[in-house]
Amino acid sequence: MSSAPRSHQTLGDTDTLAFAKVLADAGFGIDVGAVSVHVRSDSKLFARQLQSVYAHFPLMDRAQWADVHLTINRASGFRRLIRPQVILQCDGRQPFEPFPANAPLPLFEWGCNWMIGQRLNDLLLLHAGAVERDGLALLLPAMPGSGKSTLTAALSLRGWRLLSDEFGAFNPDSGTFRALLKPVALKNQSIEVIRTFAPNAVFGPEFPNTRKGTVAHLAAEPDAVERRHESARPGAVVLPKWQAGSPTRWEPLTENVLFGALAFNAFNYSVLGATGFRSVVRLVRQCPGWQLVYSDLDDALATIDAAWPQVRERQLAAGQ
Amino acid sequence: MEVRELHLVSPHGRLLRRWGVTQYARTEGILAEPIGDLWAVFCPTSGETSLLNNESMAVLEVLEAGPADTAAICGALAEDSGESIETLEGLIEACWAQLIEMGLVRELRAPRTMLG
Repeated sequence: MSSAPRSHQTLGDTDTLAFAKVLADAGFGIDVGAVSVHVRSDSKLFARQLQSVYAHFPLMDRAQWADVHLTINRASGFRRLIRPQVILQCDGRQPFEPFPANAPLPLFEWGCNWMIGQRLNDLLLLHAGAVERDGLALLLPAMPGSGKSTLTAALSLRGWRLLSDEFGAFNPDSGTFRALLKPVALKNQSIEVIRTFAPNAVFGPEFPNTRKGTVAHLAAEPDAVERRHESARPGAVVLPKWQAGSPTRWEPLTENVLFGALAFNAFNYSVLGATGFRSVVRLVRQCPGWQLVYSDLDDALATIDAAWPQVRERQLAAGQ
Repeated sequence: MEVRELHLVSPHGRLLRRWGVTQYARTEGILAEPIGDLWAVFCPTSGETSLLNNESMAVLEVLEAGPADTAAICGALAEDSGESIETLEGLIEACWAQLIEMGLVRELRAPRTMLG
């Protein structure tokens, strides 16, 4: 598990060529909160892409502990000349097919998330976006086409602190959520939606023609990076569902639905066994849940904001 | 005469044990929690979690005392709930396949050596 960063120099402050050299030689450590990731790469383009979305992260001391080790190198041989590719390896294995050489960042992000999902079994990893306000976590469990990432991104740009776009990382011992702070991966029309919603939002490059269509990564806000070691107590669960043209609907969830949305949609629920079960039961008891059907992002956010004081009061009362 | 079943009945006429019919045992270490109007049940041997209705949960609760067959479970539940044995029999017979598949219950082979 990662500890507080030692260095104050950020990735954004570092000269790209110097950073590319660090990345190729000793490698670079990214402390994303609950874990740190060490990555090495001979791709200068990757160095630039990392800087675009991890600009506020500290440049970590190479001697620091890392939970996950990855390398992303350019394919050698004739490949480097004809349809060049990059290859991700972790612990000597190559879990994914190579990506085009101009797309190391999406390969890194997917590889990283995959490794976190495989490795981080001291936390219950719910498949959910997670943001924080008032010390309380709001979880947005993922359902296919739910608009989870879009809503998570929008919240993170309107005063909610991003914990993760992918993982609701619950610590069963402390009963709190931890940050796994990586860029929000937006796909296809969501990219334009968020660009319009927040014109000053910082994006990395767009990658067309990936397995998931066009992908772009939204950088985390500086405050979220600064506070990535602050955990959050359970607050509430919102099951988002984006539906074209729909008026905003906000309906309470039954405990059965809430339980299913958390337990049956987690990365390592069955790996954790009884601990996973008890953790989900605890969350269902503790958190109110709603289904949010929306098409208008501003209206969806206003609905969540309007419900939040009720959540805060409930959790404050429960904590006393 | 061929004996297929042997019944042990209390002086008050209550069925205590039947031999020659399938008995069911609850898997050890099951965790169960009420979640809304259902029950979330975790099976430690399979690592799976299932959502059960009240009838299925009632069967598991009766089996907590030890293995039993359908008739014995119906007797226990009828006594508690006031439902007729016939109604309960239908409900419980329908539960077995799913409870077994979920790993929450296992069938015990009828102890044929007890038969004459």
